[in-house]
Amino acid sequence: MTMFNLLRRQPWVITVLVFLILVTVNTVLQPSFVEPSVMQSNLATFLPLILVAIGQTYVILAGDIDLSVGSIVALVNVVTVTVIAALGGTLGAVFGGMAAGFVTGIACGLINGFFISGLRFQPIVTTFATGIIFAGLAIWVLPQAGLPVPDAYWMTYTESVLGIPVVAWVLIAGVVFTLVVSRLPFLTRLTAVGGNRTGAFQTGLSLGGLRIGAYVISGAFASFAALCLTGETASGDPLLGASLALSSISAVVLGGTALAGGFGNATGSVVGALVLGMIGNVIFFAGLPFEYQTLVQGLIVLAALAGGVFVTRR
Amino acid sequence: MTNALEAVGITKIFGAVRALTEGRLTVGKGEIHALMGANGCGKSTLCKIVAGAVAPTSGTVGMDGHDVRFRNPREAERAGVALFYQELSLIPQLSVADNIFLGRELKSGLFADRKAMNRRAAELIGLFDGVSGQGLTVDAIVGTLPPDQRQIVEILKVFAQDAKIMIMDEATAALDGRQSQRFFEILKAKKAEGVSTIMISHRLDEVFAVCDRITVMRNGATITELDTAATTRKAVVHDMVGEVRAAAPKSAGLSTDRPSLVVKAARNASLRDVSFETYPGEILGLAGLQGQGQSALLKSLFGSEPLTSGDIGFEGKSLAIRKPSDAVMNGFAYVSGDRGRDASFQGRSIFENIVAALAVRNRLRIIRPAALKPQVSKVAADLKTKFAGLDMPIGTLSGGNQQKIFIARWLATAPKLLLLDDPTKGIDLGAKADLFALMRSQADAGATILFYSSEDSEILDYADRVLVFNGGSISAELKGDAMTSVNMTRAAYGDAA
Repeated sequence: MTMFNLLRRQPWVITVLVFLILVTVNTVLQPSFVEPSVMQSNLATFLPLILVAIGQTYVILAGDIDLSVGSIVALVNVVTVTVIAALGGTLGAVFGGMAAGFVTGIACGLINGFFISGLRFQPIVTTFATGIIFAGLAIWVLPQAGLPVPDAYWMTYTESVLGIPVVAWVLIAGVVFTLVVSRLPFLTRLTAVGGNRTGAFQTGLSLGGLRIGAYVISGAFASFAALCLTGETASGDPLLGASLALSSISAVVLGGTALAGGFGNATGSVVGALVLGMIGNVIFFAGLPFEYQTLVQGLIVLAALAGGVFVTRR
Repeated sequence: MTNALEAVGITKIFGAVRALTEGRLTVGKGEIHALMGANGCGKSTLCKIVAGAVAPTSGTVGMDGHDVRFRNPREAERAGVALFYQELSLIPQLSVADNIFLGRELKSGLFADRKAMNRRAAELIGLFDGVSGQGLTVDAIVGTLPPDQRQIVEILKVFAQDAKIMIMDEATAALDGRQSQRFFEILKAKKAEGVSTIMISHRLDEVFAVCDRITVMRNGATITELDTAATTRKAVVHDMVGEVRAAAPKSAGLSTDRPSLVVKAARNASLRDVSFETYPGEILGLAGLQGQGQSALLKSLFGSEPLTSGDIGFEGKSLAIRKPSDAVMNGFAYVSGDRGRDASFQGRSIFENIVAALAVRNRLRIIRPAALKPQVSKVAADLKTKFAGLDMPIGTLSGGNQQKIFIARWLATAPKLLLLDDPTKGIDLGAKADLFALMRSQADAGATILFYSSEDSEILDYADRVLVFNGGSISAELKGDAMTSVNMTRAAYGDAA
C-alpha cells in the first residue's frame, strides 16, 4: 500500500501526526506539560468535547448531523444538579441525578431521531430547532447558574482509581466503546446508510432504526459530557456547552470522517478533539492572545476539509 | 413434482395503470427460466412481486407447493428469493466483503466475524477466478472498482444468500464475454444443486444458450410458456410482438446528399462504438429495450453525459461537446420524458420555465420580461398549450401541457437538432398527437430529430428510419419495408435482421 493510499483510507493518520507535533511544541513551550497533574487537568478540559465528538461521529457517518448536542449538554447538566438537590444531596441522590440526566440525554436523541428519521425532517434545520428547544428547557429548569453539587461528586471526578485519574478512565472507556462498536455489524450498516441510502434500503437495512440509533448514541455521549462538565464546574449552568456542537463537528472532520457520511470512525474523532484542545493550549503558551484561538481553529478546520477533499477526490 | 415457483393469475394496478392483467410464471426446481417481452410488458413488475418489493392486486404466488404472501423484500429473502439489483444496492465506500454481507453479516457472538466473512467472500470471488481481472479482492473498496467488477460484486451478493430462487435482471449487462460465460457456468452448477434462476436478458443468444424454458409476456399478460429446445428464435420474437406491424408510410423526398449530424465511434460508460449519420429533415428513431444506450446517446450529444472518445460532427463542423451549454450554443435542444428531474424549475413561473434556454442561447445577462413576453406567448400558443397566464407556476399545468412548455423552451431557440428522450412519457393522447405533429413540422422546416421512445409503436408510426440499440451499441438499422415490429424486437434482443 502506498503512502497516498494509506492516507486515503486512514486520513486520521495525519491528525495523529499533527497531535504529536502539538504535544512536542507544547512541551517545549510549557515544560510542566508532561507532569501528571497538568496532563490530568488538560484532559479534564478536553474530555467533554471528546465525548460529544464520539457521539457526533455516528450521526455524521449515517449522513446526518446533530447541532443540538451543546444544548443537550446544558439540559443534562441542569437536570442532574436539580434532581440531586431535590433528592437532598445524599450519595443516592447523586446517582439519581446522574441517571435522570442520562435519561434526559437519551430522550433528546430519540426526539431528534423521531423527527428526522420518522417524519423525514431535514437534519440541520431540525437539530438547530431542537437545540433551541433543549436550551430553552434548560433555562426553564434552572434559570440561573448555581445549585452546587455535593463535594463527593466533583472530588471523585478529580481523584484517581487504581493510580489512574478518573478522567483518564472515562477517556479509556470512550475509546473502548468506539473500538467495540467498530466490530459490530451496526457500524458497517450505519456507514452503508450514509454511503448510499438507496442501496442500503434495497439491501433490506432498517434505515429508520439505524439513524435513530445514531442520534440516541449522540444524546448518550452528550449526557456523559454533561456529567463530566458537572464534575468540573461542580454546579449547574443552563448556558453550558454552547460552542460544543460546531467544535464537535470540527473534531469529527479532523478525525477523518466525511461530513457527507459513509466514511470514517469515532476513534479518529477522539484524536480530532484532542488536536482542537491542544491548539488552544499551544497558542496560549506561545504567548499569542487568546482571541487568535478561534481564528486558528477555523483555519485548521478549513485546511482539514481541503485536505479531505484533496485526499478523497481522484 | 412440485415447482420451485408458481405464480398464477397475478394482476397489478397502479392508480389507473394496469401494469399486469394476467401474469403467470412457473419455474421448476433447478431450472434456468427466461422471462422475455418488450418494454412495459410487465416482466419487471412480475419479478418485483415475486421478490416481495411490490404487492400484487390479486393472484397467488406459490413456492414449493405452498402459497406465500410476502409483505416486504425481507420476507421474500427469508423464504429463499434473492433479487439482483443493477448496481444500485452497492455501497461505494465499503469493501467488497462488507458489501456482500451487508445486512446479513456473519457473527461470532455479538461481533461481526470478519475472518469468516473474508474467507467466504474470497471463496465467492474465486468463482470468477481468471476472468474477474486484477484488483477484485475482499478488502477492495467497491467505489474504486471498474463497472464489470462492481457488477460481479452485485452478483456475488446474490450468490451469498444461498437462495432457492435467484432473479437475475440484466445481470450480465456490464460483463465482458468471458465473465458472462463464467456467470452462466455458475448458474448451471447451481442448477445441479436445485437452485432455480429467473433470468431477464436483452440477448436472445444468451437465452437460447442457457435457459431451459421461456415465459413470454406482452401487454401485462403471460402469452406463452415454451421449452427452449422445442422452439425457435423466430417463434419467440413473434410471441413477444403479437400482431406484426409495419411502419406507417412516410413522406418521401428526404435529401440524403449531405448528412447533418455525424457520430463516429462514440464511447462512454454506456455506449460502445456508436456510429451513424442523420440528414436534415429526418426523424431518426432510436429503439431497443430500456437502458441499452438510447438515452445515453442523447445525453452525450447534449453534453450532460459527455463522450469519453469518438467524434461528433454537425453541419460539416467537428464539435467538442463537454457540457450542455456547448450543445445549446450549437443549436441542440434536449427534451426529456423525466420532466421533474431534467426540465422543470418547480415553483417558478411558466415564463421563467420557457425563457431558460433562450437566456443561455442568446447569452442574455438581463431578462426583460416585457420585451420577451410576446415572443414567449407566441411559441406557447403555437403548441396549443392551455394555461391561465405566463406568470402562473409551472406546477399548475397537466403533464402534457408542462411537456409542451418545455418543448416551447427549446423552440424559442430555433434548434437545428432536437434530441427527444422518451418525450411522451406520462402525457395524454391529445398532447402526444400535438407533439408528433410538431415533430414533423420541425423536421419539414429542416431540423434534424433524434427520437427515442420506449414504445415501439411510436417509432413505427413517426420515425423515418430506426436504429435499434442493444448493450450500448447499434444492433440494427431498419428502414423502408424492413421497419417492422418483428425486426425491431429481434434487433432489440441482439439478433441482427
